[in-house]
Amino acid sequence: MRVLIAMVRDRFDIVIVGAGPAGCTAAYLLAKAGFSVLLVDRGRGAGSKLLWGGKAYAQPLRDIWPELDREAPIHRWVSRDRFSFVWGDRVLTLEYKLGRKVAFTVYLPELVSWMARKAESVGATFIDEVVIDEIIVRDGVVYGVRSGNDIIRANVVVDAEGINRMLLEKLGLASKPNPYSLSLGVKEVLSLDSKLIEERFNLDKGEGLAWLVAGDITKGIPGGGFIYTMRDSISIGLVLSIGHAADMAEKGLLKEHVSSLVESFRLHPYFRVYWREADIIEYGGRMAIEGGLSYMPKKLYTNGLLVVGDAAGLLVNTGYTIRGVDTAVTSARLAAETIVEAHNKGGFTEDNLRAYEEKIKRSYIYKELVEHRGIEDVFRDQFFFTKFPALATRIGAKLFESDYEEPSMLRALLDSAREEDISILRIIYKLGRVARKL
Amino acid sequence: MSQQSRLKQLKLEELLQRDVWDVDEDRHIEVLNQEGLPIKALIILCPMGCYSMAGDKLLMSYEGCVECGTCRVLSSPDKIRWSYPRSGRGIQYRYT
Amino acid sequence: MRIIVGIKWVPNTQAVRFDPETGTLIRRGVPSIVNPHDLPAIELALRLRDSAGGEVIAISMAPPPAVKGLELALGMGVDLAILVTDRVYAGADTLATSYVLSHTIRKIEREYGSVDLVIFGQETIDSSTAHIPAQVASWLEWPYIYYVREARILDNKVVRVVRELEEYIEEYELETPAVLGVAMRSLKPRHVSLSNKIRARFEKKLIIWSNNDLKLDTRCVGLKGSPTIVAKTIDMPEVPRRKEVYKPRDARDAARWIISRMLEDEKLRELLQRTLWGVKS
Repeated sequence: MRVLIAMVRDRFDIVIVGAGPAGCTAAYLLAKAGFSVLLVDRGRGAGSKLLWGGKAYAQPLRDIWPELDREAPIHRWVSRDRFSFVWGDRVLTLEYKLGRKVAFTVYLPELVSWMARKAESVGATFIDEVVIDEIIVRDGVVYGVRSGNDIIRANVVVDAEGINRMLLEKLGLASKPNPYSLSLGVKEVLSLDSKLIEERFNLDKGEGLAWLVAGDITKGIPGGGFIYTMRDSISIGLVLSIGHAADMAEKGLLKEHVSSLVESFRLHPYFRVYWREADIIEYGGRMAIEGGLSYMPKKLYTNGLLVVGDAAGLLVNTGYTIRGVDTAVTSARLAAETIVEAHNKGGFTEDNLRAYEEKIKRSYIYKELVEHRGIEDVFRDQFFFTKFPALATRIGAKLFESDYEEPSMLRALLDSAREEDISILRIIYKLGRVARKL
Repeated sequence: MSQQSRLKQLKLEELLQRDVWDVDEDRHIEVLNQEGLPIKALIILCPMGCYSMAGDKLLMSYEGCVECGTCRVLSSPDKIRWSYPRSGRGIQYRYT
Repeated sequence: MRIIVGIKWVPNTQAVRFDPETGTLIRRGVPSIVNPHDLPAIELALRLRDSAGGEVIAISMAPPPAVKGLELALGMGVDLAILVTDRVYAGADTLATSYVLSHTIRKIEREYGSVDLVIFGQETIDSSTAHIPAQVASWLEWPYIYYVREARILDNKVVRVVRELEEYIEEYELETPAVLGVAMRSLKPRHVSLSNKIRARFEKKLIIWSNNDLKLDTRCVGLKGSPTIVAKTIDMPEVPRRKEVYKPRDARDAARWIISRMLEDEKLRELLQRTLWGVKS
């Protein structure tokens, strides 16, 4: 007869909900600090529910894993950043060549799988395929988590549930999501030989390119396009303001399905030459925080609870860069530090965990968020994603598409402004406004 | 494959063929009451085209859902019941 | 009561795409799942254990990534999972696989005590032979019932089994040990539970046996022990499906609508004329 040893494990020091970049970072740091840690994710393996492949900033990750450059599943080190204005077939492109290894392209599922393995290697318990239904609070103190009929107790719960904050909403810590604070990202993964990628994007071996696109590719919906070169694939797609797109759809101003907008972007004559023979190997959508402070919950802590990553609304969108992975990782690092300090102070009370919010407010994330506060409004401003690309490409057409006489730059600007019905003063005012927010 | 055929606009159904699901028997999203829902927006914005009209009834085919939350944001819990698939089922991203 | 349930870790066939230009299947990046037919088998095993007591042991012969499938079974509530894995088992057909599985069951009997029931899904989505349960029963010389929908333990040694055929339902009472093949979708599988998963992890409920443990003659396993020869495979091109939803008033209305939609399609119209109405086109 086999002897069944009843050893029920129903209590952990820390339970972390969600094995994304924030959850995995918290699990790694807290397990390393000696706590018993349970990391739970609803996907099959870490990252199977994550749709994100783009540019991640390295230094905040290196602060935690100095071995990052050597070990992480990095696709390419970004050596070029591009920005384009598109109006019809006309395109104006700016390119910046970077001088050092600041950011890399990566598929987030691969990165978080690596992070989850790191967490497990220092003793965290990672359980997948399980949805957490509720964070249980008893007498004002977090008691644990519930999944179906199972209750697991915890001294601290770290909420890293991501952008869909069902748990926080249930607790009353986050309000119903505002469609104007959120974007819908729709993307395609295109399979292309790594040598062809390097040839076409002017990249050395292992170098990558990040490319943001503004203009009429979004059909008037506030948002833009993105292109990232991966190892042997390219990640392309659009990010669209959900609130505005929904308004336009309801008014009949938007009739095409979003997938068709992405397909038009893929087939745009200026862009398609980069991937003309590439097969689409994956298609999908996810939500993204538009940026600014508007998606931050009322509080990032209570008795026995800390909120990190996307759930905490910590994504920096400056228009020229979008930082969500490193901000998630950094918020988790600050949460882990706070938990260690609270433990040393004698408990995970709200008073002891308040330091987390203070740490966030002193960090580069919050400074950036405050600095670029209101940037969402700029992006929503019709001027920027319709008038400005139209104006820029019209000027381009005057300067470079003249059969005989070439106008002066000033004449091109003035004529274009008149034809687009924009006053020069308005352009200066708008540019000044952007410069302040960017 | 020839270059020509790759530079052809694909229909949503063709894009969906690129993805993998382990479909759960349990429906994780359900329209409870379509009254007052932004129906046109749901149909156009659900990236996977899960929403469609059958006559005057709004249908949600959860099988092709990627669990992004857009329809949750555009509705309320009394109109659309929204949850995640259990046991790791649902969309299985391979590259992302 | 000791129940064994067999699990196969199979490619999610829904993910296999056909490249019409090259005429080959695109298998790159196809994730695996627990064979969907095995889920009602696991569910039946768990229900029998829950009602009669005892334990359920999941077994699988597969390369190491199949631990993911066994973890799902443990999450559903299986008491122990055994992955039988060895390079010498690679390339096995159903005969060599059933040979290894039957010896795994024999070893379980030696290590843990006698086995009462062995439950399999009726077939697998990647090969659809439905050989394994019958062959395992044959190696063990135990009775075998297939297309099982329900089973109930009557007393310690007798199980009552309901099998459903196309036109009638049969009920059997048989003495254990026995082998059952469970019909597809006969039972709704339960979900993975957090407590089960945690318990399985901390109590190390997943064990791995290799041929060092089973000590089988290598001529009888893997490619060497497999007499099946695949003469030729032909890939069937995928037919694009067009989904439509129609809410009929009644059955007559539904039938009328289906026929009218089919008549709109040239090929279907031809097919209807040939088959249904016997008209030669």
